[in-house]
Amino acid sequence: MPDAEAPSFRRAVVALNGGPSDERIVRLVAQNARLTKAEIIAVHVVEIDWTLPLDSDVAGRSEDVQRVLDAAEAVAEASKVKLEPVLLQARDVGAAIVDEAVERGADLLVVGLPYRKRFGGEFAIGRTIPYILQNAPSAVWVLRDPISEETR
Amino acid sequence: MIGGRRPLQGRKPGDRRVRLERPHAPYFRYTGKGQLTARAAASAPTTPAGKTWASIRGFFVGRPLASEDEMGERLSKRKALAIFSSDAISSSAYATEEILRVLVLGGAAAMAFGLEISIAIAVLLIAVALSYRQICIAYPTGGGSYSVSRRNIGRTVSLVAASALLIDYVMTVAVSTTSAVEQITSAFPALFDERVVIGIAVLSLITLGNLRGLREAGNIFAVPTYLFIGSALLMIAVGGFRILVLGEGATYGPRLEAQVGNTIEPLTAILVLRAFAAGAVALTGTEAIATGVPAFKPPESKNAAATLGVMAALLGVLFIGLTFLAVRFGIGPVDVPAKQTVISQIAREVYGNGFLFYLFQIFTAVLLFLAANTSFNAFPRLLAILAADGHMPRQFALRGDRLAFSYGIIVLAGVAAALIWYFEGKTHALIPLYAVGVFIDFTISQSGMIRHWLRERSPGWRRRLSINAFGAALTATVAVIVTSVKFAEGAWLVIVLIPLLVGLMSFIHRQYDGQERELRVRDDGPLPGPHREQRVIIPVNGINRAVVQAVNFGRALTRDLRAVYVTDDLEAADSLRERWERQLPDVPLVIVESPFRAVISPVVAYLDILDQAWPPDKEAPLTIVVLPEYVARHWWDRLLYNQTAKRLKSALVGREHTVIADVPYRRH
Repeated sequence: MPDAEAPSFRRAVVALNGGPSDERIVRLVAQNARLTKAEIIAVHVVEIDWTLPLDSDVAGRSEDVQRVLDAAEAVAEASKVKLEPVLLQARDVGAAIVDEAVERGADLLVVGLPYRKRFGGEFAIGRTIPYILQNAPSAVWVLRDPISEETR
Repeated sequence: MIGGRRPLQGRKPGDRRVRLERPHAPYFRYTGKGQLTARAAASAPTTPAGKTWASIRGFFVGRPLASEDEMGERLSKRKALAIFSSDAISSSAYATEEILRVLVLGGAAAMAFGLEISIAIAVLLIAVALSYRQICIAYPTGGGSYSVSRRNIGRTVSLVAASALLIDYVMTVAVSTTSAVEQITSAFPALFDERVVIGIAVLSLITLGNLRGLREAGNIFAVPTYLFIGSALLMIAVGGFRILVLGEGATYGPRLEAQVGNTIEPLTAILVLRAFAAGAVALTGTEAIATGVPAFKPPESKNAAATLGVMAALLGVLFIGLTFLAVRFGIGPVDVPAKQTVISQIAREVYGNGFLFYLFQIFTAVLLFLAANTSFNAFPRLLAILAADGHMPRQFALRGDRLAFSYGIIVLAGVAAALIWYFEGKTHALIPLYAVGVFIDFTISQSGMIRHWLRERSPGWRRRLSINAFGAALTATVAVIVTSVKFAEGAWLVIVLIPLLVGLMSFIHRQYDGQERELRVRDDGPLPGPHREQRVIIPVNGINRAVVQAVNFGRALTRDLRAVYVTDDLEAADSLRERWERQLPDVPLVIVESPFRAVISPVVAYLDILDQAWPPDKEAPLTIVVLPEYVARHWWDRLLYNQTAKRLKSALVGREHTVIADVPYRRH
C-alpha cells in the first residue's frame, strides 16, 4: 500500500536486477508515482567484462534481458503509470545507474537488495548499492528482499 | 556502436555506458521464454487504406480493446434479476394481448376467459421455473439447453436445442423490437406508419452498441427494468383498487347477449388452447438465469436459483395482473386506425392520458429494447460455442476489436431486421414463430436433466428427477400444443428451419472433421524433413531485376530449376536466349513458342508434360512455380503490373504437387 507520508518525487529511476524483487519495487514506486503523477524510468544494466568491447551486442539479443524491462513496464501499466524502460551496457553497474539518474535529473533512485550471505554467514551487500549510496545526488530508497528460509 | 549510439561518458573518467535501442518494445513484449505478446501497435494497420478504414471503424465502433480488458464483473442478485429478467418480464407487455387476440374471435364474452388462461400459464411458469432451478444447482458453470443436452443426451439432440435457441434469440430481437415500437406508436399514433423504419433504426443502434462492446452489467440495464416493474406493479395496484374497491371497470358479461351471433368462431376448447398457446409466449426468457449462473456472486447456484424464483414470481404477478386489468376494464386489441397495444390501453385507463401514461410507455419501450439487447449477448456467444465445437464457421468464434463476437452480432441484426421488414413491424405476426423454439428448448433441457440425475444419483436425486420429469412432460405437451395450433400461422417455418439448421451444423462438423483428419500428423516423435524431390519453374518475361531476384530465390531452393519464356516472337526469343546464356548460364531457359499468342495455357501444358515425363517409379516431385512480381508504388498503378502473373496464379491454384511462390521486387 502506498504510504501517504512517503516523500513525493517528480522523477524516479528504478534500478532493476532481474530478480524476484523487481516486481515489488516497480509496484511500490508506481503506486507512489500515481499519486503525484511522477515519471518512472526503469534501468537495467548489463555488465560487460573487459574481454569484450563495451558496445558489443550482448544485451540486445538476449530475451532474458529484454524480459526484465518488459515485465516492469507491464507492472507499471497495470498500475496505470507510464514507465520508460532503459537498457544499458556498462563496465560498472553502480556507476551506470548513478550516471543515468543524474543525466535524467531524477530526484529519487530506487534499488532492490537481495538478502545474501557471504561464506561464513556475514550479510553481503555487494559493491553496487554502497556505490549508489555514496554517489547518487538524489534520495535513494533501498528495498531489501525479505529473509527467506534458505538464506536465514 | 549499437543502435547508432555512441558510448555515453559518465561523471567520472572511465565510467562509460551504452544505451541500447529496444526495437521490439513498441510492438511486442517478451512475456516468457520464446514468447512474445503483441501490443496495440503491432495490430495497427500500416497501409494508408488500412489506416483510413481503422479510423472510420474506430469512430463508430471504438478503439480496439485487449483481451485482458474484458470485464469479469460478478452480479449481485438485485442486479442480476434486472439484467437476466428483462427478456422474460418484457414478455408480459405483449403476452396478454396475444391471448385476447385469440379470444376475441369467440366474441367479447370469450375474452373474459383471459384471466383463467393467464393463471394456467402462470402455473406452467412455476413448473418451468422449478425445473430450471434444478439446472442452476446442477450446472454452476451455466446450463444452457445446448450444453445440458450435449453432456447428457447426445450431439444431434443438442444441435436441435441449439437451432431452437438460435431461432429463439432472433425472434426475441424481432418481437421485442416491434413490440417496443408499438408501445411508442401507441403513445404517438402519428408514428405508426414509420414503425418499420423506427424498428430497424433502433435495431441498428443496438447493433452498433454491441459492436462497441456494450455490456449488460451496467446500471444502465438494471434501472429501466426496475422502473418498468415498479410502474407496472403500481398500475396493477391502482387498477386493482379501482376495480375491487371502487367497483369500477366493466366485464364482458353485460354485453354477452349482444355478442351472440356476432362471433367469428365459437368458444371451443380449440380456441382456448390457441389462446393458451398464444399466451405461452410469456415464458420466453425464463431460461436466461440458468444460462448465466457463472455471472452471479458466490454462492452462484444458490443466488441464481433464488433470483429465478423472484423473477418467476414477478413475471407471474405482472402477467396475471395485467390480464386481470385488461379483462375487467374491457380492453381488447385495437388495430385501426392505428394500433394501440393492450398494455398501453391499460396504462391509459389507469394513469389517464397525461404524463404518467407517456412515462409508462417509455419505460415499457426501453425495457423491450433491453430485452432485444439480451439476445445480442446470448446469440453470438452460442454461435461462438458452436463454432468452437466445429458446428459453425470458425469466424463466429473470433472476437472483434471490442471483444464482441462481431460476426454473430451482424448476423443476428441482419436476420432480425429482415424479419421486422418482412412482417411489417407487427408483433402479432411474428409471435407464432416465437414460442415453438422456446418450448422445444425447455423440453430438451429438462430431458437432459433427467439423464443427469439418473447418472449422478446425488443426494435428493429422486425428488430432483421428478421435478425435471414433470417439467419435461409439461413443456413437451405445451410444445406440441403450441406447434399444432400455430402451425398454419407460421410455426411450420420453425419446424422446417430446425432440421435445416441441424443439417447445416452437422455438415459443417463433418467438413471440419474431415479436414482435421486430412491434416493430422502423428504425435509420437520428431517429424522427418522433406523427402520429395523438388523443382523450380520460373515463368519470365525477359531479364530484369525482378526476374533475377526470382531466379536467385529459386537457386536457394533447389538446383533443379528452369526458366520458361512464352512468346510468339521468335526474334525476341533468340535475343533473350543469347543474353540469358551469357548472364545466367547455370539456369536453363525453355522457350515456348505460342503461335496462338496464349501465355497461360502453354505454361500449364508445359508443367503437365514435365509431370508426365517424371519416372513413374519415383514419387512425384514438388513443383515450385516462382513468379517474379513487381510491386507498384501507388494503388492506382497496380493495374498496370502483374496481370499475367495473377492469371497464371489463378490457373495454378489447387494444382496437384504444385506450390506457387510470389517473389516481389520493390524499388528502394
